[in-house]
Amino acid sequence: MHAETTTALLPAGPARTRPGPMGWLLLGPLLFWVVAFVVAPAAIMLVYSFARRGTLGGVVFEFTLDNYLAVADPTYLQIVLRSLWYAGITTALCLAAGYPVAYVIGRSDERRRSLLLMLVMVPFWTSFLIRTYAWVTILKSQGLVNSLLLGAGIVSEPLALLYTPGAVVLGLTYTFLPFMILPIYSSVEKLDGALIEAALDLGAGPLRAFARVIVPLTSPGIAAGVLLVFVPALGLYAVNDILGGGKVDMIGNVIENQFKGNARNWPFGAALGTVLLVGFGLAYWLVSRRQRPAG
Amino acid sequence: MRPLARLVLAALALAAAAGRAPAAEELNLFAWSEYVPQEVLDGFTKETGIRVNYETYASNEEMLAKLMSGAASYDLIQPSEYTVEALRKEDRLLKLDHAKLPNLKNIGPEYRGLPHDPGLDYSVPYMQGTVGIVVNTEKVKEPIAGYADVFQPKHKNRIVVLDDPLEIVTWAMATRGLGPDEVTRENLAKVRPVLEQWLPLVKVYDSDSPKTALLNGDVDLGVVWSGEAAILINEDAKRFRYVLPKEGTHRFIDNLAVPKGAKHVEAAHRFVDYVLRPEVSVKISKEFPYTNPNLEARKLLSPQERANPASYPPGDPKLQTFRDIGPVAVQVDKLVTDVKAKSGT
Repeated sequence: MHAETTTALLPAGPARTRPGPMGWLLLGPLLFWVVAFVVAPAAIMLVYSFARRGTLGGVVFEFTLDNYLAVADPTYLQIVLRSLWYAGITTALCLAAGYPVAYVIGRSDERRRSLLLMLVMVPFWTSFLIRTYAWVTILKSQGLVNSLLLGAGIVSEPLALLYTPGAVVLGLTYTFLPFMILPIYSSVEKLDGALIEAALDLGAGPLRAFARVIVPLTSPGIAAGVLLVFVPALGLYAVNDILGGGKVDMIGNVIENQFKGNARNWPFGAALGTVLLVGFGLAYWLVSRRQRPAG
Repeated sequence: MRPLARLVLAALALAAAAGRAPAAEELNLFAWSEYVPQEVLDGFTKETGIRVNYETYASNEEMLAKLMSGAASYDLIQPSEYTVEALRKEDRLLKLDHAKLPNLKNIGPEYRGLPHDPGLDYSVPYMQGTVGIVVNTEKVKEPIAGYADVFQPKHKNRIVVLDDPLEIVTWAMATRGLGPDEVTRENLAKVRPVLEQWLPLVKVYDSDSPKTALLNGDVDLGVVWSGEAAILINEDAKRFRYVLPKEGTHRFIDNLAVPKGAKHVEAAHRFVDYVLRPEVSVKISKEFPYTNPNLEARKLLSPQERANPASYPPGDPKLQTFRDIGPVAVQVDKLVTDVKAKSGT
């Protein structure tokens, strides 16, 4: 049961059967997609990261390790750590808020379930940027929240909500919450109610049943949700610019600046990207190793 | 008539119509976002039949990145003066045919003879702007004359600045008596302490729309593009004031230029000349109130628009422009990233 949902996102050990000709044919589009849009760009990035900076942007193909030496600077380490911290808090908040929602949706009856699922998806109907700018309207000093608080007499001065680290984490959590809810929901939906009843019958309290039965059984969904939230949250810089005022850089901002900013330093941006990619690869490998069922 | 016959007839009619219509000409314009009014594009298409594909960018470097990638072909780009210089050094711009630009005469003398393109042989000035200080006079009562007055501890978290390392660095250099063309490693080291004092005070970095934070009341002071300031002043002239910093600032000139490899060179010339017409150019000024280098177009502005101090600073100060600074740009980016990281909350 574990492996069934895991395979969607995490490799579950060696393939049991090799695909036949028909299988390869069906795999074709996926393979093409992976090669054209994942492998090839990553390879280009890797090559660029060892090249030198071109005058107008672009690269000059002369082998150098300077870009990686520049990445090792403490400033960038600090920025990476901060990005990890932001992404970590975002993931934790998404999990805390998303798990109960996913559980309720997964355990509700068919008709209500599709309605609730649709409500989770509704935000995707609007552009992500527009939704983020909507938060500006909510959080600004003469915005919705401050007007309410001032009107109710709870505060006498508008609170500084916008352009703070809190606003960035809020924006990230808001953006990625559905990516946590959906995979957990799919695990909860498959959850066998009889197992929970068995746990309760055998004397486990609700807390214990939750911790020992429900969480382990939904762990593939949790793992998928954590990956789906954590990885993009680390790289997304637009929320930081719009809600954080660009005050502190996240690693995505630094990479963006190498291409769209004064520096025009593509190789350095590529080196930063490669380091992040390798980091993600390692983290993914660790998670999937721990997820792999013992048998 | 039988349905099939009707279908065939319709197809034939369509083919005939397509055959008669002249192959629609196009112009691929790659320009700054919020800089070319739709009205101007429509007017050009109406008059010439040339369809304009307007693609936008938010920084010179973004434009260069796409231009260099060669993924798309552009006929007309809109580089600032230092980018014109950089492009010319690499021989990336096509020489303009002045015979096809009779309206070039409308460009004022102060836009000629500049180091990036003295004879306007490769670029035609589109708009000029300055970088200066916007003050919300309802919130800031003391006089603000320069950067030193803005970056005071009492203004912590009340300041918006452009999200542009080179800009920020040149302001700090101005307080040390250094001009915008003196960006060197040594001078960057000199202004590092200045930035270490300034950047912790900043609340918002925004190059795209710094007016928003000022208008929303989230900040009370800004160092921003003059066009942004002009819009604020048009909005509420009592509340907002524009000041050219006493320590010095620079002006920027955004230009139209034809990159080498352009496919519609003729159309590009026609568009440039169209934009140079006073009655067209003034429409751009009305929507984006920068300083119009087209002296004939300026005459068509209303007295209020001419009096907007952000668009047309009193005294007409002679300001320097940016130069291409070459590889030291990497150090500029590093310096600001460093100081920001250390002053972060």
